[in-house]
Amino acid sequence: MSSRRSFVGVAVLATVCGSLLCAQTPPATLVVTGDVATPLTLKAEDLAAMPREKVSIPDQDGTPVEYSGVLLREILKRAGAPLGNQLRGSALTTYVLAKAHDGYQVVYTLGEIDAAFGNTTILVADQRDGKSLFEYQGPFRLVCPGDKAGARSVRMLETLEVVRLKK
Amino acid sequence: MRRLLAFLFVVVSIVSCFGASGDDTGYQWNLPKGFPKPLVPADNPMSAAKVELGRYLFYDKRMSVNGTQSCASCHKQELAFTDGRPVGIGATGERHSRSAMSLVNVAYSAVLTWSNPGLKSLEEQALVPMYGDHPVELGLRKGDRFIAALRADKTYPALFAKAFPTEPDPYTVANVTKAIASFERSIISARSPYDRYHYDRDDNAVSEAAKRGEVLFFSQHISCFRCHGGFNFSDATVSERNAGHTVEFHNTALYNLAGVLSYPLPNLGIYEYTRDPADVGKFKTPTLRNIALTAPYMHDGSIPTLEGVIDHYAAGGRAHDNPNRDHLVGGFQISREGRDDLVEYLKSLTDEEVTRDPQFADPWPSDATR
Repeated sequence: MSSRRSFVGVAVLATVCGSLLCAQTPPATLVVTGDVATPLTLKAEDLAAMPREKVSIPDQDGTPVEYSGVLLREILKRAGAPLGNQLRGSALTTYVLAKAHDGYQVVYTLGEIDAAFGNTTILVADQRDGKSLFEYQGPFRLVCPGDKAGARSVRMLETLEVVRLKK
Repeated sequence: MRRLLAFLFVVVSIVSCFGASGDDTGYQWNLPKGFPKPLVPADNPMSAAKVELGRYLFYDKRMSVNGTQSCASCHKQELAFTDGRPVGIGATGERHSRSAMSLVNVAYSAVLTWSNPGLKSLEEQALVPMYGDHPVELGLRKGDRFIAALRADKTYPALFAKAFPTEPDPYTVANVTKAIASFERSIISARSPYDRYHYDRDDNAVSEAAKRGEVLFFSQHISCFRCHGGFNFSDATVSERNAGHTVEFHNTALYNLAGVLSYPLPNLGIYEYTRDPADVGKFKTPTLRNIALTAPYMHDGSIPTLEGVIDHYAAGGRAHDNPNRDHLVGGFQISREGRDDLVEYLKSLTDEEVTRDPQFADPWPSDATR
């Protein structure tokens, strides 16, 4: 499957927003909400104080770019999402809906993120090559170095909504 | 002895690798960060001497049947190597059916011209304006005396000898096209305000309006980047890092005439080659670099301004009921301010230096008879 087709497939989840909304600068916060014990509203300084990770991925033209930030797993853990020992039974029906400022949305399951299952590295990045992200990318974005296509690397990330399908 | 053989094997292997990329002559690309190395045919490696010869040929009007036009007649440096016309006009006055494409960063073009999926070699493409007669561009004919004219010019012996040093008689059509192709590949545009903003991280290089426009460019609901993505702002881009890229062609709903052939003749897009009705109206995505200099727009120059192009896409195409309309041309809402911001972003892609860089300029004295 081509990366474009992958992109379009994922984009089915996307919604459309008004142009005026998109033209505004995204808020400098990241909200973690939904089925979590401790909803969070994170600022850049909050991410700066968390354990930091770096990943290098190729840009669209193949140029390696280093992103740094905090693992999605770490942020969800702090919000009280069922991870580690709690991720069993019906908790495995839990997913994260990552929403961008422009309405773009993608899904990750907790199973693919958790260290005992998929153990996939997904970064909530706030820096690119040691500097803040460009406005069309930030202030926060997801970076998924394990994905072949870039469509789940949500730019202008605004909200992480945790949804448990089976309670 | 075995060590010597092993050493020689390694040396030969290294040399062979460079040869495969066509870059064994020490040619310096001077590419900025973010720009991969272009693909170069193994049988025409880049060299400074070939690029220089190609520059003289590119600007030489003896390359046309009546001495009135050169490659530069339709590819003017000050216009980012386009001509400012809706469609090109050949040496004999015949109108081309499509507009002259920009040559900036043509080294990265996966396919050449607007709609020929099989034309991938600049050397081969050069023969089209030289000898093509549908339409006549430069209007040369096999057996014309232009090679003799080049041979007689006192400028060329040293240039040809340096460009093709192993050939006893380098004055051939094949070598002319190799030199022109080498010159064209050397026209790299990478010094725009956008480049300073992105690759040098100079936050003051572009305006706040351009930054807002970039957000729109990459937004989900407008998504210009889906076709105009990457460092060269085109999904028809290849490089050494991305050699196997599959090129997609797009119907942008410019027309919807009655019948299967919904686009006006002779511009049917890649249908001309595939004969698949689903391909009618599908054209290559051109680069957006220097787009503010290359009006009018689209394959037939039928939209005069960038604002008009944005309005076209916002409407989902002016003939949005074309059955082949690309699913990415779905239309969107944009305010007047948003459109202005998007235009400012597109203007930030203008590389003024490439339009006046002496290494791409006409090398002939103004009083030359060529």
